Amino acid sequence: MKAEHTRKLIVLAAIWVALLLAPYWMAPLGGYTALATRVLVLGLAAMSLNFLLGFTGVLSFGHAAYFGLGAYGAGLTLKFLALSTPLALVAGMLLGGLCGAILGLLIVRRRGVYFAMVTIAFGQVFYYIAFQWSSLTGGDDGLRGFSRQPIDFGAFKLDILSSANSFYYFVLFCFALAVGVMGFILRSPFGRTMIAIRENERRSRFLGIPVERHIWIAFTLSCFFMGFAGALYALVNNFADPRGLHYSQSGDFVMMAVMGGMRSFWGPLLGATVFVVLQDYLSSVTVNWMSFVGLLFVLVVLFFPRGLLGFFQRSKA
Amino acid sequence: MGILQRSWPVDRRTLLKSSAAIAAVQFSSPFIIKARGETPVRIGLVDPLTGVYAAIAQNEVVGAKYALEEINKKGGILGRPVELLVEDSANDVGTGVQKTRKLIERDQVSFIIGDVNSGIAIAMAQVTSEKKVLHVVSGGHTDAVTGSGCSWNVFRVCNSTTMDANAIAATLIEKFGKKWYFLTPDYAYGHSVQAGFEKVLKAAGGTSAGSLVPLGTPDYSSYLIQAKAYGPQVLINVMGGGDQVSSLKQFVQFGLDKQMAVGGALFELESIRAVPDAARVGWWTMEWWWDQPGVPHVAEFNAAIKKITGNAATARNWFGYASVQTLALIANQEKSLDAIKLAHALSGFKLPPEIALQPGAPEYRAGDHELMSTVFVGEAHPPQGDPDNMFTIKNPVPGEKAAGPVEATGCKMQWPA
Repeated sequence: MKAEHTRKLIVLAAIWVALLLAPYWMAPLGGYTALATRVLVLGLAAMSLNFLLGFTGVLSFGHAAYFGLGAYGAGLTLKFLALSTPLALVAGMLLGGLCGAILGLLIVRRRGVYFAMVTIAFGQVFYYIAFQWSSLTGGDDGLRGFSRQPIDFGAFKLDILSSANSFYYFVLFCFALAVGVMGFILRSPFGRTMIAIRENERRSRFLGIPVERHIWIAFTLSCFFMGFAGALYALVNNFADPRGLHYSQSGDFVMMAVMGGMRSFWGPLLGATVFVVLQDYLSSVTVNWMSFVGLLFVLVVLFFPRGLLGFFQRSKA
Repeated sequence: MGILQRSWPVDRRTLLKSSAAIAAVQFSSPFIIKARGETPVRIGLVDPLTGVYAAIAQNEVVGAKYALEEINKKGGILGRPVELLVEDSANDVGTGVQKTRKLIERDQVSFIIGDVNSGIAIAMAQVTSEKKVLHVVSGGHTDAVTGSGCSWNVFRVCNSTTMDANAIAATLIEKFGKKWYFLTPDYAYGHSVQAGFEKVLKAAGGTSAGSLVPLGTPDYSSYLIQAKAYGPQVLINVMGGGDQVSSLKQFVQFGLDKQMAVGGALFELESIRAVPDAARVGWWTMEWWWDQPGVPHVAEFNAAIKKITGNAATARNWFGYASVQTLALIANQEKSLDAIKLAHALSGFKLPPEIALQPGAPEYRAGDHELMSTVFVGEAHPPQGDPDNMFTIKNPVPGEKAAGPVEATGCKMQWPA
């Protein structure tokens, strides 16, 4: 038991050291800092989805909608309300989370494939709103004309716009905050209840757990995290576009979560890393990069049903 | 039969691991640093090589690569060889921005070209102006690129939507009349094109009505019946891609081609090739055309592209070609790679005939950095003789005339200190 605990701590330390030093070890390996930033943001999004998929056991296929709403929330705040990066992040998170909370009330009544279908439907509603409401969202051309702002600490200013490294560490800080809260929730009695629902919904119901309400809370929390990730994504690109809300984007997130390992906390981050790095690298080599990403996905699903991380853990044990 | 015998001692896992390793090796070659004499000048090209614009994006790459070959034959840029790094934006803004950063930060490119998708082009322009890198937008048409969103470091080769609309609108009014009906896709691009047409029509004292059509509509009968009832002289078709094809086909099936003219802004050669003869009708604009008798160098360029692709050169081939050639010309003229210096020199720069490949000498207008390229207004038809002879130029409109004054574009050029 103790040995396992130490091993977990070592793995955790290794992950954080790797993340902290990413700008330094990525460049010699042919990467670049902006790629690491993108991995973090999409990794956070995949982990948010996995909060629902892996730990509550319900599959949402429309989570990109809340990701995109977060992006638009942050972009619109920077463009029309105030030139403040923290405010934009909060606004994006609130927009994604609150929409998720309201729609969640309707969605949680369904299970299985119907749950997935309803989430796609609501996701596409937001996609078409962003696509058609040109005067506010810029329509198909996307929302532009805003950029992330330096963060004022009073004593000094952190320039996250022109310095790629500062921005990476800012995103890493936000990522750590979100992941910390996520881990804390999963360790709480509420998190245990979520896992109980995943393992056996009927039994949880018999134990007197209000299953619908718990799934709703999990859905809402996951949407808040998703909105936060989306807001960060808007800052990464200084741009928000309707494709970020499209169901194909939701599919990418599910793919990252499943590929990395949806039963483990860090799996989706690994999945997102593999997905983003592979896309970045392969698409420079061949235009048929999608076939390779798809092939990898098929291989993972066929041979490592617990995801890449699950495979590594099993082979170590 | 009952005994399972393993003829060779390799289990599934080893097989998987080794095949994965072999697959991985296939991609390792770019990491090996090749021996180089002189450090090359690098040009980064970001285009949607996958997705709905794949065909036209690939044609821009063909043109760009051909230009590269020519430049390297003539001694490169500043005596250094030129390298073209092509990246796929996958028709996604996030990916396009990411690839632009990759090219600038990691690969240290001196110039950026791209993208076919205007939204991505604008997002890329934010990165390039932040990083102070000279950027040529080869094929994204939205007005904003050289209009409200213009930037000191961004120059555009292809026409703006307004230029195309102005050029064809004048011709249609003159030839057919002032009563028009619009078939417009219901999203930002469609609305802005229709608004452009309506402005010209109103100025000429014409009247119009129109239908907004959802993207991906398979059946146009209700819209065509409305159009017939309105009885216009011209049906303006703003639909794009597959929607353009099905709407044109149904237009002919309904027999409307006998009652009114049909036309619109763009019907690229790539699109005309992709449709059946029945849909090869109407009045359109081409931004470049391979058959310009009497204009020097055009035939040579067409022959060279035909050698590569097997088809006549398209406007997209020329966009890629002109983009790369522009960068090489200006860098060699100024003997510098400094973005600000080159951008100043490019403002008002006239393309020489061997690159312009059209009548006159189009210039990058100083006020908005738009290339004042001729807009070829003409009529589409089924192939006559040459399989790519599916369009006849009737009225080439000079770029300056089509573009209108700089003030109307909404561009306020701001230069870095």
